[in-house]
Amino acid sequence: MNLKPDFNRFLAAVRHQETDRVPLSEILIDYSIQSQFLGRTVTAGDLPAQVEFWSQAGYDYIPITVSMMSPGKVTEESKITRVLKEMVLREKPGTTDPKAWNLEFTSFIHERPDLDKFPWEAAADIDFTKLHAVKDLLPPGMKVIAISGKIFTLTWMLMGFNNFALKLVMDESLVAEVFERVATIQFKALETLFAMEHVAGVWAVDDIAFGTGPMISPAAFRKHVFHWYQKVADRCHDHNRIFLMHSDGDLSVLMEDLIAMGLDGIQPIDPSCMDMAKVKKQWGDRICLIGNVSNELLRSATTQEIEARVKELLRDAAPGGGFALGSGNSVPNWAKFENYMAMRAAGLKYGGYPIKLKS
Amino acid sequence: MADHMEAIKNAVIGGKHAEIKALVTQALDAGLDPNTIISDALIAAMDVVGKDFGSGKIFVPEMLVAALTMKFGLDIVKPRLAGGQIQSRGTVIMATVKGDLHDIGKNLVSMMLEGAGFKVLDLGVDLSVEKLIEQVKAIQPDILGLSALLTTTMPEMQKVIGELKTQGLRDKVKVLVGGAPLDRAFAEKIGADGYGTNAAEAVELARRFTGVKA
Repeated sequence: MNLKPDFNRFLAAVRHQETDRVPLSEILIDYSIQSQFLGRTVTAGDLPAQVEFWSQAGYDYIPITVSMMSPGKVTEESKITRVLKEMVLREKPGTTDPKAWNLEFTSFIHERPDLDKFPWEAAADIDFTKLHAVKDLLPPGMKVIAISGKIFTLTWMLMGFNNFALKLVMDESLVAEVFERVATIQFKALETLFAMEHVAGVWAVDDIAFGTGPMISPAAFRKHVFHWYQKVADRCHDHNRIFLMHSDGDLSVLMEDLIAMGLDGIQPIDPSCMDMAKVKKQWGDRICLIGNVSNELLRSATTQEIEARVKELLRDAAPGGGFALGSGNSVPNWAKFENYMAMRAAGLKYGGYPIKLKS
Repeated sequence: MADHMEAIKNAVIGGKHAEIKALVTQALDAGLDPNTIISDALIAAMDVVGKDFGSGKIFVPEMLVAALTMKFGLDIVKPRLAGGQIQSRGTVIMATVKGDLHDIGKNLVSMMLEGAGFKVLDLGVDLSVEKLIEQVKAIQPDILGLSALLTTTMPEMQKVIGELKTQGLRDKVKVLVGGAPLDRAFAEKIGADGYGTNAAEAVELARRFTGVKA
């Protein structure tokens, strides 16, 4: 099986075409997994090793985060956290608990006056260093997908979820303004991304649903969030880039909206609440589906069970293109390494086109 | 009388937070019994809200505003009650288990339980088995509600139930579990008394556990 990176392979899948094989795809693979694969330690600062991992493991791109926040967590070293720390220490000198400037524990915009106190200018200073640095490390055929454009999650984290939800009804204009400021920052970053030829797409990692359905009403999403995504999609397509999105949860009632706004692919089709076969049947001809090997399986299943699940997914979702194989979220450090390898191996073994798996 | 009650109920369901205080005041001034206003208008409204949320008719923001509206109404009724206290329908301890910092779901359940008339003590996130047992001993709740978002923290729930057994507390408290990665089979496997897929189901279970009629 051909392991050489070829972004055209991934692009073909996004465009519902069959090539040599189903592409492998993730938004994040923990460095501990990358280390075990390469047989040496891979760290956040070791970009050459990261490129080596993603290319040798059979991926056609490397995902690099350039957003205001890292996907799913606000790490201590992230730009926004440094900025918030400065602000907290300015207002409350002597604060020592890191939770005070960590968005996972503390929100900053509760009422209208907080909006102007927040250091937007500094927060908008997004670090593109890694993205520039990776250019000369990429092997032929390999591209970068920028993990960027989180709008919904960042807005509610800035406001605190309960406060955000209440204000969405009780002070809608405040919420709209936070959305706008966040989106404007993320939107501006796109122009820098588009100037880099090795960046072939944008992947917005932005959870918008619970396991039971959307976090806010579809109408509120349309009013406050989706028009921003539509603009991102339009700008991406104007610059010949793809636009993908990650969201956990049950997206069923939002799928038509996501497709209408021009999204090229959606990941991971949350296996805890969505059925890939049904999703493929209902929407799979209009949007590329990426994922959805359950993380619980990656944690606790046998390698045989992993292989069986991969075969099911390939059978149900791969024929005709429009599918890339990956985890049901990301590959965390608590996934069994042998299960990650089993998922990857089964994808490469049975994912050659034409798919020959039968039910 | 029926008009007053219907107006209060509709205000809570519709999240009319700016209107509720005046409506409740008018009802009290008209001579309506404070306990009846609580049970037949405020709590009854939250039942409708819970059902609408469970069926996907409304979403978290609308549910939270309804709960806040109800609270505004309760604040007006409370001083008119004998002793100034609302009769609790039961006491619930809520917590996210150790190693897990997620609290959106837990907070929603807490708010809906309060809306249904339960006294809720929310202990927060990242609660160790020891701390939970200590609180169960001290507070003696009717229900212990445990939440987890991560598959890696789900086993903590089983540890809590195990320790409740060891300490001879298991038959003194009902254990209600919830969270995105859980399912009914897991809840049964670890010996929980109930599993709710959302806040509305959690309220129904709490009522069943405490013998409260909806």
